[in-house]
Amino acid sequence: MKVFDLAYIIEDDPITSIITELIVKQNSAFGEVQTYMNGQEAFDKLSAAELSEAKIPDLILLDLNMPIMDGWEFLDAFSALRLPKPVCVYVLTSSIHPDDIERSKSYKEVKGYFTKPLDDEVVQQMVHLGQENKC
Amino acid sequence: MHYLSDELSQLQKTQSSISDFIQESSLAGLWYWDLRNPENRWATPKFWRTVGYDPKSIAHEATAWNAVNPEDLAALKEQVAACEASYTESFEQVVRCTHHKGSSAWLYCRGLLIRDEAGQPYRMLGVLTDFTQQRNEEVYAQEVANHYGTILSNQSVYIIKTDAQGNYTYVNDLFYERFGHDSRIIGTSSLQSIIQEDWPKCLAVVERCFVEPELSHQVILRKPYRDGTVKSNHWEFKGMLNGAGEVAEILCVGYDVTLLVDNLEKSRQLLDLTKQQNTRLQNFAYIISHNIRSHSANLTSLVKLMQLTTDKAQSAMFLQMLKTSTDKLAETIVNLNEIVTANSNANQPKELRSLRHEVDKTLQALNILIHESSISIGIDIPAEVTVSVVPAYLDSILLNLISNAIKYRSTTAKPTIHLSCYRDADFIVLVIKDNGLGIDLSRNRNKVFGMYKTFHNNADARGVGLFITKNQIEAMNGKIEVESEVGIGSTFKVYFNESI
Repeated sequence: MKVFDLAYIIEDDPITSIITELIVKQNSAFGEVQTYMNGQEAFDKLSAAELSEAKIPDLILLDLNMPIMDGWEFLDAFSALRLPKPVCVYVLTSSIHPDDIERSKSYKEVKGYFTKPLDDEVVQQMVHLGQENKC
Repeated sequence: MHYLSDELSQLQKTQSSISDFIQESSLAGLWYWDLRNPENRWATPKFWRTVGYDPKSIAHEATAWNAVNPEDLAALKEQVAACEASYTESFEQVVRCTHHKGSSAWLYCRGLLIRDEAGQPYRMLGVLTDFTQQRNEEVYAQEVANHYGTILSNQSVYIIKTDAQGNYTYVNDLFYERFGHDSRIIGTSSLQSIIQEDWPKCLAVVERCFVEPELSHQVILRKPYRDGTVKSNHWEFKGMLNGAGEVAEILCVGYDVTLLVDNLEKSRQLLDLTKQQNTRLQNFAYIISHNIRSHSANLTSLVKLMQLTTDKAQSAMFLQMLKTSTDKLAETIVNLNEIVTANSNANQPKELRSLRHEVDKTLQALNILIHESSISIGIDIPAEVTVSVVPAYLDSILLNLISNAIKYRSTTAKPTIHLSCYRDADFIVLVIKDNGLGIDLSRNRNKVFGMYKTFHNNADARGVGLFITKNQIEAMNGKIEVESEVGIGSTFKVYFNESI
């Protein structure tokens, strides 16, 4: 049993997206990984899943600065969704701005704030945090 | 004749004490002089007491007469001589005397010439009254008047009074000198001399003077000065009560605080500028942190992944990604440098440029792009319109906005761009209207001009163009506005400040 059966990576930079996918997949706690170019794409998929009972992710790795729908807008829209099970959101960003860290805490869906670069150690922390939170 | 009058006349004749009493209590003294032997002069004891001498102990009477001011004495003698010559009997003369203790006694002498049977004057009777106290009061009043006159006509404080309707009843010299356009300032409305914007402030303070006349009320008001500049004055208003206890006048004391107000305004502007710069710096630090870090994070991860992989194909892919990342990092650094440059050259000199000419130049530079995208461009800018700009900024602004309009052109309709301009108060407004993709402003209004914000999935969008454009426009004291609707198009309005 994986800790994260399905994880979303929401990231606009294609290279970062590929790297993130490669690194998390090296950890056995991760199962399937899907990548989305921005908040809107991920949100559309989730709102479709809300109605169709399709597979809901256990974890969302969310970048903040993106075109179309950025991380904050995604969180606003996401909080309004009525999903059948809780989804754990980790912010994964290059920003170390204190305002961003503080703001992310105002969303109860956000269980963690991680800064890039991502490596095995950080992924391991994500897994521990996921187990604690029973994501 | 009243019987009592008769009786009193009789009494005066028979009882010398009655006549003495009258003299003693009503007069400062009597003189009775022998005009034939001028050295023979007699004065009543009351006169001597008036000038501070004990009549019983005057050793040498001729010396005591020195108490009378010699000039006045000479004038009196001339009056007597004039009377003799002109056959008039009476005269009047002010006689100053020096009191024994040194002070001045001011006496008024009414003189009467007494003539013998042949009609020749041989005696002079002088009746003296003392008006020293009255005189001193007058002197004191004059001194007080001079004193306050000096205060009122000082060189730094305005003193004015108005009636309950706000019309001037008094203005001091300084106020008149600075603000009196008309010589008949008294009776005119004080409100009219204040700039209209400050009227409500002034009226509110006057109102308070009526409610609380016991307190002074303070306000800063602006008035046009004689030379046309506007001066700020700090005023203290106070209601002045009439006999019936009603506020009849407002006393206003003020002084010039223009320099103070100007300096305050300058400090405020400086503070605003510092705040702005601080925000930009913070924003900049944030951008550095975010954008450089995001690329460096990729580099770190890619190098690690390359070390771990044994697969040749995968290794080649990582190398390609590494190259892309380093290119992007270099590009980011170029962008950041551009932003720093736009922010640091705020005080470049402005020059007059023909707006039409500059637009044509930009379109010429974008010629190939325009041709390829088959976009049609309409220009409605009169050739004579000029704008005062930092030339390099105008180039950059036009290039950014027009190339954006081309880049995000409509994919469904025939793409168009329309450029026009109009005047709005101090500004020349350039309008760039397209029928392109548009931006959802209900979601993105705060982000349009932000750094590293992109709104379309366009690979070459850097997210710095509009940020730099806004910075450059603001550095020239202008502003930029946007109206946009997804699928309909965008309209950018650039306000060039022509007042400075």
